[in-house]
Amino acid sequence: MSTCIEVKDLTKSFNGRTVADKISFRVEKGEVFGLLGHNGAGKSTIIDLLLGLKKPDYGSGTIFGLDPSANRKAVFKRVGVQLQSSNYQNNIRVDELCREMSALHEKCEDYHKLIKFFSLEKLEKSKVNKLSGGERQRLSVALALINNPEIVFLDELTTGLDAAARREVWGHLKDLKKKGTTIFLTTHYMEEAESLCDRIFLIKDGRKVTEGTVKSIIESSPYENLEEAYLWYMGEEVAQ
Amino acid sequence: MKRFLKLYRIEQKLALRSGDMLIFGVAMPVGIMILINMIAGSKQATEGFTYLQSSFASLIAVGICAAAFMGIPLTIAEYRDKKILKHFFATPCSPLWILGSDVLCAGVTALLSALSVAFVSIVFLGYEMRGNALAFMGSWLLTLVSMFSIGLLMASLCRTIKSVNAVTTLVYFPMLFLSGATIPYELFPSGLQKLADVLPLTQGIKLMKAVSMGAALENVWEIVVLLLGITAICTGISVKTFRWE
Repeated sequence: MSTCIEVKDLTKSFNGRTVADKISFRVEKGEVFGLLGHNGAGKSTIIDLLLGLKKPDYGSGTIFGLDPSANRKAVFKRVGVQLQSSNYQNNIRVDELCREMSALHEKCEDYHKLIKFFSLEKLEKSKVNKLSGGERQRLSVALALINNPEIVFLDELTTGLDAAARREVWGHLKDLKKKGTTIFLTTHYMEEAESLCDRIFLIKDGRKVTEGTVKSIIESSPYENLEEAYLWYMGEEVAQ
Repeated sequence: MKRFLKLYRIEQKLALRSGDMLIFGVAMPVGIMILINMIAGSKQATEGFTYLQSSFASLIAVGICAAAFMGIPLTIAEYRDKKILKHFFATPCSPLWILGSDVLCAGVTALLSALSVAFVSIVFLGYEMRGNALAFMGSWLLTLVSMFSIGLLMASLCRTIKSVNAVTTLVYFPMLFLSGATIPYELFPSGLQKLADVLPLTQGIKLMKAVSMGAALENVWEIVVLLLGITAICTGISVKTFRWE
């Protein structure tokens, strides 16, 4: 396997509060890498820094060996992004949004195939703001894949979804993994990390807590499942 | 270019679907013009000119005013506030595409407004331009570009939809009512005229009005240089201060 994402000592502070503190990790091609932490732990900031959406105070992040802030075009030709916010233009329809996002990329998947893959074909003419939370999240993931990316970043993709909708999205992601797509996701659902991730990286208040495979992380704790192990790593009480 | 046009077509569709610009940019100037004609008819506003001839250029500027001070800043600020610009950032396209497509949509609104005013006034109200039509188009374009640069500056400097709403109210309404776009400048008392002269749109309207009436304007080059200067400075600052988030 070869490294496709490399982060070295990434550091960022806002108003005197450090939200990313010397974060370093590598992601190998084809793996599903999960960045885990509580709300406000710094997960989205790390994605923003890595994608060049924010400038780090110190350290660097590269994708395919390139700095995304200096090589935006080259990087985003090969990378798809689903941001935490799934707001789109007022009154835009699903098909229009797909066509617009296709226009922003040079080479694209046929969006009809994608929306069928994500079971949205009947909603093609619906307004995006009329979609349910689950439908909108599936659309966001579909849009992140519209350029047939080699790496896809998924930021809190199942937040707000019910259990059935979450499992449906996971099924789609497992299919993507089989195709060889590298997936970088953030979540605070341990079940999601356990089901999808090859390796996970735990952060608390912008600092690394631990990293490894789901199995190794559980084994290094006194507990037998990821949820309890996670709480233990985070220094929280585990209910018996 | 093909991809840019695809992007523009969707943005234009959304702009038309929202309807705001059609009301404030197109229906409003046409409505005011019909009202002026109903009230004043063929009465003379100034020596040798009817109220319609005198207010034609001003009413054409209403579309520019709506597109520049409402359309551009509100659209871009809303996209920034809802993090739609951030979605666009995470693609290989140039930021100029996004700004370009929204500016083009605003330009089409202003053009649609101008054509509607011209069509109704010429076909139904018997308007005839005394001045040179080509020179008038040039003065319209210069006014449009300079006012759009102010709209872009507002979009760049205001970070939230709340602040852009406040600034839009503070800029749009004074420009609409004090620049001579809706109420004839000549009717203002001299104190108010001095205040109106500070507004960039007043200068654009003075230029367009003089050209449309075939009248001599003493400081024509001063106005042209002023509008070009506004365009250069505002565009420069807005590009420098533009933020995706």
